[in-house]
Order: sequence, then structure tokens, then C-alpha cells
Amino acid sequence: MGLFNRDTAGQTSPSTSVTLERGAMTFFAETIGETNPIHFDLEAARAAGHPDIMATATYAVVVGTMAGKDLTRRGKPDMLALIGADMRYLLHGTEQYSYHGPMFAGDTVDVETEVTGFADAKGGKLEIATLTQRITHPTRGLLVEARRDLIHRLG
Amino acid sequence: MTITPQTATVGDTLPPLTFGPISRTTLALYAGASGDHNPIHIDIDFARKAGMDDVFAHGMLSMAQLGRLVTNWAGQDKVTSLSTRFSALTPVGAIITCTGEVTEQLIHEGAPHLRVRLSATLADGTQTLKGEALIRAA
Repeated sequence: MGLFNRDTAGQTSPSTSVTLERGAMTFFAETIGETNPIHFDLEAARAAGHPDIMATATYAVVVGTMAGKDLTRRGKPDMLALIGADMRYLLHGTEQYSYHGPMFAGDTVDVETEVTGFADAKGGKLEIATLTQRITHPTRGLLVEARRDLIHRLG
Repeated sequence: MTITPQTATVGDTLPPLTFGPISRTTLALYAGASGDHNPIHIDIDFARKAGMDDVFAHGMLSMAQLGRLVTNWAGQDKVTSLSTRFSALTPVGAIITCTGEVTEQLIHEGAPHLRVRLSATLADGTQTLKGEALIRAA
């Protein structure tokens, strides 16, 4: 029953380094319609006392995706492959962020993802995988903890 | 009078925000900008094979709007947490309206906070995101 590989519960992905790039962050900020220039204008960010442009509130998901792509490039399964996600039936159920510090362009952060667990809902029509991802800076410590539920719609 | 995290009380609402219409171009750009290349959002052939009538918007594109709603009001440094449940799909062409309402004043990890209920809705009233933020009040 279910499509996820539930044997992966409790496993943690290899820790991966991701460097936040100003151009990519600016493209993201523009795409979501961000209007606060600290997220795309270096001068405005510096004038506000920041070392570089600041990541927007949901940029953590992008950092997490980049970490997955880095794993794939190195011949290791990313989190979606690890848990056996089937993109035809995959939905995003929930997304939660706890913020501990800002992320800036130029930061190189470590990303670690844990398979927190699996569950069923709606009489087996929905299959839920819960992942927890921690983005940590080598000197500033934990910056963002993200928790997300991914869902297979089976019914 | 403009409310701020320092002055807000239960029942106050944040300045609302609208986003869209969300075109196929927006979805293509979001796929590229976010690295989320799930074809269900950008490839109608794939979507149809998966049993959908059409592609639909990335939920995270709408959550980004909830993020803008709270950070443009309070500043990223005041936001302790942001969370959402994706309760309905957002179709191509949608214009979403994002709103926030202070529901509680509380102490979280020793600091005064506001609990803000967040929502994204389609023009027909369908709620697509049901979210919450904790915002430092001082």
C-alpha cells in the first residue's frame, strides 16, 4: 500500500553545501513580485545595514532544492528519489519555516534533510511524507528549519 | 492609522496583497527561479497524462506571497515562523488575494509575539492557502 519508500523513515540525506548567488536570488525575488529592494538591490541592502541582498521568506525551499540537485549531480539520490516520490501524483501538503537568522547572497550554507515519517489520510486516498530540513551557516549556526508534508494523491 | 507589529492587537488586519493573473509564463519563470522543475506545473502534456485538465500553479508561488505579506509589514527580522497548508489547487489565470489577521498576542520563547492568521483566496472565494505567522511584537 502506498508509493513512498517507507523504509527510509528516519534517514538523513548527506549534508550538502549550497552557495547563495545574488543573481539567482534577484531572479527569484523578481519572479514572485517582491518589491522590497533589500531582496534584489545591493545598494538598498547595504544601506539597510546588510552585507548583501537578503533571501526572501520562502527562499529556503529553493536552497533545499539546490541541495537536492547537488546530490543528484554527485550521483546520489535527492530526497524525492530517496523517498520514492512519484511526480504524477505528488502534491505539496504543508510548508513550515522557523527562522533563526537571515540568509544573504554570498553565504555558503549546509543543508541536511531528514525523513521525519510517513502517514496515511482520508482512508488511504492520501499518503503523506514529512521531511525536516535544516539550513546551517558554519559560523552563524542554524538559519532556517523547514518542515514539509509531501502528498501522493492515490484516490 | 497604520498598524505596526508594536501597536497591533487582536482583530487587526494587515494590508492585503494581490498577485496575478498567474500566467503560464509566470509558472515557467517560477520553475526556473525556484529550481522546482516538476512538469505538472509547466508541461500540459505531462499534466494530462497524470489525469489533470491543465497545469496548475506551484503552491510555493502563493506561499511566497504570504511571505511578502508578512515581511513587508513587519520586516523579515521580526518573523519567527511562517507556515501554510495548501488546501486547494491554484489554476492558471488565477488572481490570488492574500490577507492576514492578528488572532492572538502571546509570549513565545520569552518574547512578545503576534499570531497572525494568513489566507490566500481565489476570486471565487476558494481558499488555496491556510497559513500562520508568528511575528515579534517588540
